[in-house]
Amino acid sequence: MHNILMYICPMYSSELIKGTLKTIVLKLLSDNKKMYGYEITQKVKELTGDKIQITEGALYPTLHALEDEGIVTTEVMNIGKRVRKYYTLTKKGKTTSKEKVSEFADYLNTMKFLLDIKPQLG
Amino acid sequence: MYTLSEQQIDFILLDIKNRGVEMEDLQLNLLDHICCILESECKPEDNFELFYQQTISRFFRKELKEIEEETLLLLTFKNYYAMKKTMLVSGTTAVIFLMAGSLFKLMHWPGAGAMLVLGVFLLSLIFLPLLFLTKSKEAPTSQHKVVLGLGALVGILYCLSTLFKVMHWPGASILWFSTVGLSAIAFIPLYFFTGIKNPDTKTTTIVTSILLVGATSILFMLLNVRPPKKELQLKMYNYLQSEAVLTRMHASHTSAAATSNENTKMLDEINLLCTQLKTLIVENAIGEKTIPVDFEAKNILIEDGGLGNNFYDDGKGAKLMAQLKEAIVKYNAQSSTPLPQKNSVLDSDFGNIANYNVYTVLNSLTQMQLFVATVNS
Repeated sequence: MHNILMYICPMYSSELIKGTLKTIVLKLLSDNKKMYGYEITQKVKELTGDKIQITEGALYPTLHALEDEGIVTTEVMNIGKRVRKYYTLTKKGKTTSKEKVSEFADYLNTMKFLLDIKPQLG
Repeated sequence: MYTLSEQQIDFILLDIKNRGVEMEDLQLNLLDHICCILESECKPEDNFELFYQQTISRFFRKELKEIEEETLLLLTFKNYYAMKKTMLVSGTTAVIFLMAGSLFKLMHWPGAGAMLVLGVFLLSLIFLPLLFLTKSKEAPTSQHKVVLGLGALVGILYCLSTLFKVMHWPGASILWFSTVGLSAIAFIPLYFFTGIKNPDTKTTTIVTSILLVGATSILFMLLNVRPPKKELQLKMYNYLQSEAVLTRMHASHTSAAATSNENTKMLDEINLLCTQLKTLIVENAIGEKTIPVDFEAKNILIEDGGLGNNFYDDGKGAKLMAQLKEAIVKYNAQSSTPLPQKNSVLDSDFGNIANYNVYTVLNSLTQMQLFVATVNS
């Protein structure tokens, strides 16, 4: 039933990145103040060199859920005939963002140790 | 950069709506997103519609509606945990209130009524509906959902009807009948035939159905052990006869010259207190201060149940009763023709008046008034 994270990701299997979309979005928002959906997908593409691409089918449900939880607020701007919704972190969201990132960093360290991955130098 | 015309934007928005996306927020988000892609990727020489169809197909696996379904799933998923937590907290609190309330009622400690009412309300109006909502999410078919809904409804009705009965609120009997009826006619049969189809749940279904039928039958027995209507009618006529005698005696009195002394004043007070108590009891039972003359036509029959809430603790009835007992003791202490306080509910040997049923108390009060009338003449 859960196809929350339908990434189109040429590099990684979707299982590998499952559960990180929220962290990615929160981190981007904390670095960029306010962003709209398309901008987020483009930014991820740019930062990862096309290795991770977020699909719309995964992004918008997550954004709506984050809004419902009070982690982000929205601001609507008219762009000619259409409107654009900008997302900003709330105070609560800033804390959540930090927690999510540090949780993931901790997880990475544990995985490194668990899988015995040697740090790649150079 | 490709520039979209207003018609093209309208076309896209309409297409998003036609593909089954109903949330306005999501419609606008998707519209802007698609427009952004088209503006940056589409070339002036491209066929707009073809390019649009290719773009939108990147958004989903089977249909665009998936995005909305996913959104709703995420939104309810969050509520699901809050709901489960509320359910557990309300259920636990309800059980604690019910157990404490029962113990308090047994010991005649104050606060029993409030605890029971709160417990039943928590259980039936918060816990059970939430239990239904969380369970129905896991239900495989809509038929299972209906069974769960009916089960919850029967549970709610059962709790409420018991509460109404214990508190002597009007409508208790109707609730009882609805509970037993709904359970026997709709809930149990549907439960049985839904569960028996699945081989995995067959045995459990049969056993549970037997238990349910057993429980419903016992409920039905409880309904039937109530005194038959005729006996209740006799009790009511009996009381009304005594009342008629009292009225006659009073009528013959007023003609006699009333000697106004201390004794008569005290007797009048006793008489008045008796009348006030009876009025209160009748009001608790039928909602009117007196039994109407055409009570048979109106189908009014006073149940031989408890006196009502205000006869407990510091209630109005309990206070009036204390005053009455005191007045009689005071009168008897100085009178040569004492009133017979012994062997009636006015005797403190018989304890709390709230323990007795309506007709016993009404008759005792009328008898006291009759004695007062004889002494007074």
